[in-house]
Amino acid sequence: MADARGRGRDVFIVCNNVEEMGGVQQWAHGLARLMSGRGHRVILVGITRAQVPHDFGGPYGEARPYKVEHLHETWTLPALPWRPRTFRARADVRARLRDGRRAAAVRRGAERLSELFAGARPGGVVIVAQVWAMEWVDLARTRGLRVVGMCHESYQASRRSSRYARVRELYAGADRMLALTAEDADAWARDGMANADHMPNALHVRPGSVPAEREPVVVCVGRLAHEKGVDLAIEAWAAIAERHPEWRLRLYGTGPREDDLRAQAARLGVAGSVEFAGVTADVPGALGRASVFALPSRQEGLPMALLEAMAAGLPAVAFDCAPGVRDLVADGRNGLLVRAGDTAAFAAELERLITDPALRARLGGEAPRAVRRFDPEAVLDRWEWLFGLLHRGLPPLTVPPPAAPRGATAPALGMDPVRDDRLDL
Amino acid sequence: MRVRPDVSVVVIAYNDAGRLPRAVRSALGQTLGGVEVVIVDDASTDGTGEAADRFAAAHPGRVRAVHLPENSGGCGRPRNTGVELARGDRVMFLDSDDVLDRHACLTMVAAAEETGADLVSGLCVRSHLGPKARETPWYPRLYRRRAVHDSVLDHPDLLYDTLSTNKCYRRDFLLDRGLRFVEDLHYEDLLFSAEAYLAADRIAVVPHRVYTWYVEADADRPSISNRRRELRNLADRLEIHRRIDRVFRAHGAADLKAAKDVKFVNHDLLLYLDDLRARDEEYRRRFLELARPYVAGLDPGTLAAARRLPAIAAYMVGRGDLEGAISAAEFARKKIPELRAELVEHEGRVYWGERHLRDGPGREILDVTALGIHARPLTELRPATTATALRRAGRRARLTGLVANPLGRVPAGARLRGEVELRDRRHRRRTVRFPAEFAHRGDAIEFRAGLDTARRVRPIGLVDPLWDARLIMRVNGDRLVLRIGLAGGGAGVTGVPLPVRPRLTRLAGTRLRPYETEAGNLSFVLEGGGLLTEPFKAALRALRHSPAFRRAWRGLRRAERSARSLRAALRRRLTARKTKIAVFNRVLSRLPVRKGTVVFESHLGKQYSDNPKYIYRELRRAGVPVRAYWSYEGSPKGFPKDAALVRRGSWAYFRALARAEFWIDNQGFPEGLRKRKATTYLQTWHGSAYKLMGFDQPALKNATRAEQQRFRRAVERYDCFLVRSAHDERTLVPGLGVTAELLPAGYPRNDPLVRGSGGDPELARELADLRRELGLDDGRTVVLYAPTFRGGPGGRPVARAGLPFDAARFAAELGGEQIMLVRPHYLCRTVVPRGLRHAVRAAGHIADVTPLLLLADVLVTDYSSVMFDYALLDRPMIFYTPPEPEPAPPPGRAWAPRGRESPGGYFDLAAHAPGPVVEDEDALFGALCNLDAVRDDYAGARHAFADRYGEHDQGTAAAAVVGRFFGKGARRG
Repeated sequence: MADARGRGRDVFIVCNNVEEMGGVQQWAHGLARLMSGRGHRVILVGITRAQVPHDFGGPYGEARPYKVEHLHETWTLPALPWRPRTFRARADVRARLRDGRRAAAVRRGAERLSELFAGARPGGVVIVAQVWAMEWVDLARTRGLRVVGMCHESYQASRRSSRYARVRELYAGADRMLALTAEDADAWARDGMANADHMPNALHVRPGSVPAEREPVVVCVGRLAHEKGVDLAIEAWAAIAERHPEWRLRLYGTGPREDDLRAQAARLGVAGSVEFAGVTADVPGALGRASVFALPSRQEGLPMALLEAMAAGLPAVAFDCAPGVRDLVADGRNGLLVRAGDTAAFAAELERLITDPALRARLGGEAPRAVRRFDPEAVLDRWEWLFGLLHRGLPPLTVPPPAAPRGATAPALGMDPVRDDRLDL
Repeated sequence: MRVRPDVSVVVIAYNDAGRLPRAVRSALGQTLGGVEVVIVDDASTDGTGEAADRFAAAHPGRVRAVHLPENSGGCGRPRNTGVELARGDRVMFLDSDDVLDRHACLTMVAAAEETGADLVSGLCVRSHLGPKARETPWYPRLYRRRAVHDSVLDHPDLLYDTLSTNKCYRRDFLLDRGLRFVEDLHYEDLLFSAEAYLAADRIAVVPHRVYTWYVEADADRPSISNRRRELRNLADRLEIHRRIDRVFRAHGAADLKAAKDVKFVNHDLLLYLDDLRARDEEYRRRFLELARPYVAGLDPGTLAAARRLPAIAAYMVGRGDLEGAISAAEFARKKIPELRAELVEHEGRVYWGERHLRDGPGREILDVTALGIHARPLTELRPATTATALRRAGRRARLTGLVANPLGRVPAGARLRGEVELRDRRHRRRTVRFPAEFAHRGDAIEFRAGLDTARRVRPIGLVDPLWDARLIMRVNGDRLVLRIGLAGGGAGVTGVPLPVRPRLTRLAGTRLRPYETEAGNLSFVLEGGGLLTEPFKAALRALRHSPAFRRAWRGLRRAERSARSLRAALRRRLTARKTKIAVFNRVLSRLPVRKGTVVFESHLGKQYSDNPKYIYRELRRAGVPVRAYWSYEGSPKGFPKDAALVRRGSWAYFRALARAEFWIDNQGFPEGLRKRKATTYLQTWHGSAYKLMGFDQPALKNATRAEQQRFRRAVERYDCFLVRSAHDERTLVPGLGVTAELLPAGYPRNDPLVRGSGGDPELARELADLRRELGLDDGRTVVLYAPTFRGGPGGRPVARAGLPFDAARFAAELGGEQIMLVRPHYLCRTVVPRGLRHAVRAAGHIADVTPLLLLADVLVTDYSSVMFDYALLDRPMIFYTPPEPEPAPPPGRAWAPRGRESPGGYFDLAAHAPGPVVEDEDALFGALCNLDAVRDDYAGARHAFADRYGEHDQGTAAAAVVGRFFGKGARRG
């Protein structure tokens, strides 16, 4: 009986890539380490490899307690299956051949995955961290295993991207589909994903460590990309910077928009007070030195940077752009929420914090308490409860699902998707 | 091995061997492993029991089958039996014709374990089978988001979902609380659910779809809930309700009883009234006997709390007026309902008929002013139409009838045209129309039409036996499509058959016999006269019922359907805006530009108004030889006759745009159209800005890069942008991201405000007409109330808003000296109380606001940009800015956007306003009382305001624009 086995399950975490530096990778390695700590046998699987692998060693450089596998050394084929729309596209022989090669490669990868899965003891679980990887898992043999698909962004963000259709298609067959927050899970459920549930990210720093010295700095951590809204932070900053000459806006991170952002800061006359601090390996340290945290994002899932900032006792000003943000910040109690995109209000709230040390102390003091439920132990408990639920009782008999009658498809109770031209994986 | 399963699914079945396996498989195929199935066969006679036994044999330990010794006639006893046998920690019910979602049990158990709830409820979806297959969620508003309620008293709305099947119960909870279904009544669900809700210590709700309820299209095999027609059902339902009342009383839950009674009025009663029209006299009498005492026993507050039309229906039942009740029920349930009641007006309020106005609380209940029926466009109203006589003289026949004219909405002088239409019910495109004449007759409108069926109607015969009659009536161009009803059982109409010659000769029929449909409307059935016909038809019937023929027929129908849907898809594809825009960009815009063509558009084609109108008029006045196109959306009414009119979005529209030398509009031609260099785009804009615009708006700032680029590309098409002050250059230009040349000419629409109407006979005539139309000739002060756009949930305009002040009070206190014109934003609609029209009149239908500004002696607005225009007239202005109510969550979302907001204007209105800024009604009326003071106190502020925001408005804007682009040696773009 699966419950009796409780501890020591085989857990596969499948990502697009586990070697690149990125949020999902960090999360995957973190989770793998935590689950290993609870006695599970974790195998972290990347579909592809990175050219320059990032070192995801433990805090003290200790060895990884889990295995890492890759399905493909390189991936030069198209990312997605070929879906010709027009007659002309259908006649494209080269694309057809390329897609054939791609399909064969995916099958080879899936075969490799099946081999890995075959070594699993009963009660194993496959966690698919990104929807792109689901194509491989879908083809692989998962008999005896339970498959969980994850969505590391808000429902609205998925909806605006090409991932939306793929999530609906590929995750529909998963035993569970996990969003980051209950609100996002509800949105997916309303949209017809009857397997939607939620699982928060675990926080990897211990909340509540009070730093010794705070500098007059507003800090912002994130990739310098459009969806992270750093341009909005600079715009808001420009409205108040002049009145607070001793304060700085410090931006950690790098990204495609860095040049634009520098130009913007210069244009708005705040080049002197905006610091581009680049990538830091020591985020807790960077947060510990600052006085205020800003989250100017346009899209988010459950923002780890905000989570860590709150754990570090920083009062935050955040745009109300996703359920994940609302889930963390209770406006006026442990941080400040601003209508998404309202830079004037964002500036006003920043200024309120800058001029009111007592408010900073009150909100910052309350913040660590709010993120306690993201404590690794609590999150792990939830994972294990879910594993237990998925493996409870007899394995279901192999009965084909009832054939849906004509015209009866999953209801789309929401709006039509607004698709972005971009293609994110 | 666990001893107890997590969930026992109790599947009940009666004579349903065909569908039972589907249901059982859905329970066995759950993602949750520990599910057992208990099949309770209610003494079926068709092999259902055997099917159940086969499942039990195939899945020992997971499926059990029990057979009741005799049929129970309901769902109660089988379910009770199932619960007794269930071994799981939790119980779910499944009917043999429905299915569980694959994840239902897992979702339910997860929610139960997370919350510790006795009762978990998920979304049920009704799946309608048959040709019109579709899915409708059951009370989706209860299932928007997950929730936990410690008691149903915290959330009585839950009682709306009375199904027992989409829920998961802790088994011990059912046993401890003695919860059982009643076994001798139908609607056992209602009572069971009410008791379960009340008994549960904690209730969890999940938004997940857990249950699919299949609804059969053909009523051949009606399920229990489908047999509404039987009076016993009504008796049962009322008895169940009485028992529920007792349960509520026992729990001291008066609120719940009130909520349930409201639901009874809003929902249950309507269901019965809905198909009452087709029932006979005896049935109706019995219905009234049963329903009347129950309705009369409802608490007095119930009707006031229910929705208005259902309340009226219930009220009528209570008064014994079944006909009135049916009319109100029909009106409540249909999208474009037929208005059978005779609306009446008393002291400014509109009432649903005269009959019961003075009995008891009639006045309050029958008041339908707030529904705005009187203000609905005629096309959204279907006045009751009845045939009064069908007379035949030889081969010709004449149909006469009456169309109701509620509140005299069709004015005596209206131009009435139309026809009577006979339509083949199976092939709706086969219609025959007979011209009709119309005449006002008392309170109604009479129509007559000669039905020359013998010559004009040529049915094929046998395949097209049914022909529906409809009346098409055009009132001043508005097209009303009306079903023709029959009064008094069709006396004078149904006895008169019409001669007809089918194409399959007279063997197939000789006459169209009028009859009354279930809905009470006039239809015709093709009948044979000849002796040969009946045997011939019988033979055909026999053939039609042969399996081979039915197969062939079904195949044919399927082929026809798929051909039709293919055609429709192709048509949609070809006429889709996307296709048109692609063709525009790739093909049309390669056509040569036609010199001297101008395409005008105002507010996306909704109006002939604003700057484009005044530029157009100046062009005409100056005699510039241009070929002008005006784009219109909806109706071309009111657009200039000397221009070519193109419907926005039509091929003609895109063709005109592609070949035009000039585009002139005030908002934006369709996004995605690439404007070529040879075309000059003059963007006049529709007003200076108080509210944030474009990239200054949080929504656009927060948009994705692609959305922002789309906006930017649309604005980059402008070649010239009209500004009226430095304020525009500081706000609109950077906000929208205008890269075009700025033309500081002022607004052409404001020329008359600066110069007056003198010297412009056309405008003077327009003003005189308007004055007459609005009845402004009695010397009272004209107050123009022109608020700005009001967004509802999701940012869409409010469909029908009331006035944010008490119009009756205005009429009473100020109506003697003042008259108010109400002009909402052009995207919004405001209901102006009709009965107050001596003092408050709607002016929303007047496209162009400029003449209204000229007529108004004082302006009341909030943040509308008319403030900048009206200031030029140097007349008093009042700014009425009542605090806005909390926005409701947008549809489809459970949460309202939160977070702090900035005030959202380009300047501080209170500091700069050229008139008093008032926030409540008293202050508004106070200011209106003292207009002289407003005029004098704010004279300086007004001048400064006009100078500041109307810097370039010198009364010569139209001439300047025309000179710039169309004058001699004008530079183009």
